[in-house]
Amino acid sequence: MLEHPLTMWQQMESLGYTRRDFLRFASWLAAAAGIEASGIGQVVHAMETKPRIPVLWLHFQECTCCSESFIRSSHPIVADVLLDKISLDYTETLMAAAGHQAEKSLHDTMKKYKGEYLLLVEGAIPTNDDGVYCCIGGRSAQDILTEVAEGAKAIVCWGSCASNGCIQAASPNPTGATPVHTLISGKPIINVPGCPPIAEVMAGTIVHLLAFDRIPQLDGLGRPKAFFSRRVHDTCYRRPNYDAGLFVESFDDENAKRGYCLYKMGCRGPVTYNACGVMRWNNGVSYPIQSGHGCIGCSEEKFWDYGPFYQHLASFPGFGIETTADKVGVALGIATAAGIATHAISTNIRKRKQIQQEIAGSDTIADDTKGGA
Amino acid sequence: MQHAQISRVYVWQLPVRFYHWINALSVLVLVITGYLIGSPPAVQSGSEASFGYWFGTVRFVHFLAAFLFFFNFVYRIYWGFVGNRYARWQNFIPYRKEQLEEVKEVLKVDIFQRSVKPLESVGHNALAGITYFISFIAFLFQCITGFGMYAAMSKAALPALFAWIVPLMGGDFAVRQWHHAMMWFFVLFSMIHVYLVFYHDYVEARGVTSSMVGGWKFVEKHKL
Amino acid sequence: MPNRIVVDPITRIEGHLRIEAEVKDGRIVDAYSAGTMVRGLEIILKGRDPRDAWAFTERTCGVCTTVHALASVRTVENALGIVVPPNAELVRNLMFCAQYLQDHVVHFYHLHALDWVDVVNALKADPVKASGIAQSISNWPKSSPKYFADVQKRINTFVASGQLGIFNNGYWGHAAYALPAEVNLIAVAHYLEALEWQKEIVKVHTIFGGKNPHPNYLVGGAPCAVNIDEANALNAERLAYVGRLFDEAATFVEQVYLPDLLAVAGFYKDWGAIGGGLTNFLAYGDLPVAGYNAPESFKFPRGIVLNGDLSKVHEVDGKDADQIQEFIAHSWYEYEGGDAVGKHPWAGETKLKYSGPKPPYDHLDVDQKYSWLKTPRWKGQPMEVGPLARMIVAYAAGNKEVQELVNGTLKSLDVPVTVLFSALGRTAARGLETKLVAGWAKEFFGTLVGNIKNGDTRMVNNERWDPATWPAQAKGVGMTEAPRGALAHWIVIDNTKIANYQLVVPSTWNASPRDAQGQRSAYEAALIGVPVADPEQPLELLRTIHSFDPCLACAVH
Ligand code: HEM
Ligand code: HEM
Ligand code: NFV
Ligand code: SF4
Ligand code: SF4
Ligand code: F3S
Ligand SMILES: [Mg+2]
Repeated sequence: MLEHPLTMWQQMESLGYTRRDFLRFASWLAAAAGIEASGIGQVVHAMETKPRIPVLWLHFQECTCCSESFIRSSHPIVADVLLDKISLDYTETLMAAAGHQAEKSLHDTMKKYKGEYLLLVEGAIPTNDDGVYCCIGGRSAQDILTEVAEGAKAIVCWGSCASNGCIQAASPNPTGATPVHTLISGKPIINVPGCPPIAEVMAGTIVHLLAFDRIPQLDGLGRPKAFFSRRVHDTCYRRPNYDAGLFVESFDDENAKRGYCLYKMGCRGPVTYNACGVMRWNNGVSYPIQSGHGCIGCSEEKFWDYGPFYQHLASFPGFGIETTADKVGVALGIATAAGIATHAISTNIRKRKQIQQEIAGSDTIADDTKGGA
Repeated sequence: MQHAQISRVYVWQLPVRFYHWINALSVLVLVITGYLIGSPPAVQSGSEASFGYWFGTVRFVHFLAAFLFFFNFVYRIYWGFVGNRYARWQNFIPYRKEQLEEVKEVLKVDIFQRSVKPLESVGHNALAGITYFISFIAFLFQCITGFGMYAAMSKAALPALFAWIVPLMGGDFAVRQWHHAMMWFFVLFSMIHVYLVFYHDYVEARGVTSSMVGGWKFVEKHKL
Repeated sequence: MPNRIVVDPITRIEGHLRIEAEVKDGRIVDAYSAGTMVRGLEIILKGRDPRDAWAFTERTCGVCTTVHALASVRTVENALGIVVPPNAELVRNLMFCAQYLQDHVVHFYHLHALDWVDVVNALKADPVKASGIAQSISNWPKSSPKYFADVQKRINTFVASGQLGIFNNGYWGHAAYALPAEVNLIAVAHYLEALEWQKEIVKVHTIFGGKNPHPNYLVGGAPCAVNIDEANALNAERLAYVGRLFDEAATFVEQVYLPDLLAVAGFYKDWGAIGGGLTNFLAYGDLPVAGYNAPESFKFPRGIVLNGDLSKVHEVDGKDADQIQEFIAHSWYEYEGGDAVGKHPWAGETKLKYSGPKPPYDHLDVDQKYSWLKTPRWKGQPMEVGPLARMIVAYAAGNKEVQELVNGTLKSLDVPVTVLFSALGRTAARGLETKLVAGWAKEFFGTLVGNIKNGDTRMVNNERWDPATWPAQAKGVGMTEAPRGALAHWIVIDNTKIANYQLVVPSTWNASPRDAQGQRSAYEAALIGVPVADPEQPLELLRTIHSFDPCLACAVH
């Protein structure tokens, strides 16, 4: 192995690319990351002088769909990311080495590139019972995360699992599954929620970090604004139907066949921040709503516990599946009306009695009227 | 038996009365439009989106009423510092011993329908005061959650002031869920409130109902 | 004295798998397979709306994404007596096929190939010779000397950069690698091509289910409405897109995957006798032609083959309380009736109870409990599930298409039928069924287009959508063939809510710990006798385990 890794320009040069190709690539990269023309020089410089950034991808309580999503990226395509842009030194899903050799790769990079490597985390971290619910190489997930996070330059949390706990953190969260940001502090943390996130959102986040060497602008929940500043509803092409009050009333009805709004089928688009409506999935082919199913809110914290997915409001805890706040409200309203009615009747009976008594036992009613004047 | 002397008292100043009816109206509109936003009826079908905007209109009316409701509420908060003694904030939180006593008394009147002692207060009775205070908190909650949601669809400064509620509650879904559930507080409050107003009028005959229109109540002289 | 080797993490799989193996005289004499991550999905599912269960169970795994959703909607439909319209069945079949195509290709090139292919050795290849070999086995257009020279150059630069990334610390140069440099180079080139291609076929899911991974399903049918006169629905353009994707897939499988598979297999014929293990095979069957309730119409037949006896296919019944049961003798769970009992999934329990060593640990206590997987058994017997099981059951059931394909392949490699019971057999079976699936997908697609042409656009049966129409109590089982094998979900519905939900997953069958009788499950059994040339570099162990395509998130859930 070489002591001084090649810079990205050197690599491209040796691949037979011209300087012009390289500059075009750099400006494309800049454009992909949303950098203005004035910033391209910076990108070129970064690529001329830097070895491929070492990246460690840890896997915890996950379904690995984030990894799967990542390899679906179309721009940039993932082979280019892996061979030319980053040095993915650890990822259980794709790496050749296993067991001790895999752990050696991890530790070598942690040592050699302390403070420089990028840490990507997929999956949540179980914190109950010493973390016995997720162990790798005999060590608990939390133990590994703490160690690897220590020397990381920045941490990217892939998917809802690492960003907000996702499915394993759904009630009753049997293993104490916890997102990264609650366990690690003092490091820049980028949350890229979604179950999974869109491939190009994942690759785009990496490209941003590479090209600018700085953290993208984040919102209050640590998500890159570039992808999470709008609700699915705000960029949904069915939105005119929503405004016109044209709704699918049941799946596969006439309205569904006309592509009306899925709001009444429980669509979570109005409460979900994600880029699905604009970027769409798998290189712009479609997204849940375009294919006839409402958004289930997969990039939002706790979305699993806001079911059932097919009704607009979550059911009321402690009641039946379909008991929403409205049903409880109507019941209370009826009870209140009944209470009022009973109260009114008894008041009347009582008052009548009182009036009878007053009439019978009083001689000063006239004074009363006087005082009232 | 000695009967009291009754006199007319100007309790609710014009601003309070204005406030009250604007509030009542906007709440009515907010509840109706809010309910429709939550459960839109199937009023149209087979139509093209470009020919209609009724749902957008419902939402627009909700937001319009929301602004009215909000500024009206802000105004009432202000009036609580500068208005007459019946409009002031002291009336809303029963902290004095007499007020606490009165809460008990009113409960007896309202629930057990006993009327031994006539009520002491001229403005709100102490129980009404605390209920109104609770309702003010509900107003505040509804404004925060409402504008918090509204912030996502607006570039204006006012809604942006409330955007913090979204991460605090863990996302838009929770905010919406609570905003929606809180609608029922308004429905129930209004039902009970309106009934009790008439009820007190009926059992006390002090002109409570009309006081919110004309401003005057009829009160036994010795209490003034 | 046996030497205990531990491989943890097993990489190039899904999930967290740990293998502890005893090696004696260069061979594995005993092995223990442990799943070391659990989420408790069966616990989380309790009390929820059965119509939402597909979304939860789909998140069991993002690698075999969609199969749990399919099993789940079938389970709920089975419990509630819902029959989905033919178009929905076809859409589900097409999504099933797309899943196989993507998953199997990715397994072969990106998860398994590095056990057979020495990437670094490809640098020594002669691109002209490589081109000659490639052109002799396939019509794939990207086979010119220049093409292979470019790929080689790319690898060269990559290696010269000193940052080997995912290829760092591989067992390059290991004695167990047997391919000539040129074949290594072809495989590396196709590693990259397959990586690019796999993201295309999943667009079938995107079109029907809105996204991939984790497309949307629907109890009662499929959510994508058909309207050939509407831009917002499945129309001619969307269907043409699907058609093209399957055409390209068939070409890729025929011109790249299968030729590569056979080329590699030709150099590893000795592995036709290694890594066999159990000879019991279970398949639930799938790809209905006449509806899910008519298993006899399935493209993949249902049944069981015992002890490698191809003359008889036994029946399997998911509802029979005595057939499929799960045991926890060596699993970190608690059962009401104690550790000795087996539970049919309708009566299944999931109560986590860790009793292993406190992390960090060096070894698991394999005499006690040592895994988060439960141990499934059919009438008390361990079963292997997966592509090999499907091919064996179909072969034994007399399926002509399968018999022809298998016999033809055995003949072309000049090997006897017994080589199927091996690690190589497993890997080959996966490739063969991919070819079948690519062909069947075209049939299903044609039928779907035909239905729509004839005016049948129904996609959803809404009769039982409203929970008010459900019985107070209901039970269901839904079966499918996931890429890794027989998958079934069981549900108990009580008052419109999930009272119990149990998944018994392919990798649970294969990767589970032994049972109370000491009978090994498929992984542990397959490892017995596997040679290990260098215990420090257990390439052969990985090869054997990878032939199953492990998925541990699935297996434990
Ligand atoms: C008495 C006061 C109010 C009541 C009873 C009320 C009620 C409701 C209800 C029931 C909904 C439907 C929620 C759902 O199911 O999705 C709603 C939505 C909403 N309300 Fe209110 N609301 C009140 C005040 C406000 C205020 C002060 C604002 C401030 C802007 C506001 C803003 C909103 C917004 C933004 C929505 C979501 C509309 C959409 O995205 O379509 N509301 N409200
Ligand atoms: C027909 C409808 C209504 C009538 C006749 C009515 C009548 C009255 C009366 C007479 C009072 C003074 C009670 C007292 O002396 O304590 C009052 C106060 C009040 N009412 Fe209403 N009300 C109506 C509807 C509403 C509605 C819909 C709301 C809002 C949800 C509302 C909110 C209030 C509040 C907050 C006060 C306290 C006023 C203050 O001091 O600022 N009212 N109402
Ligand atoms: N085992 C397993 Fe799966 C599959 N195929 C599912 O049922 O991988 Ni994630
Ligand atoms: S966030 Fe969702 S998609 Fe990603 S690993 Fe977790 S469960 Fe899978
Ligand atoms: S389908 Fe969903 S996201 Fe789109 S407009 Fe309707 S409610 Fe909004
Ligand atoms: S469910 Fe997820 S994929 Fe997009 S449309 Fe909704 S955020
Ligand atoms: Mg299970």
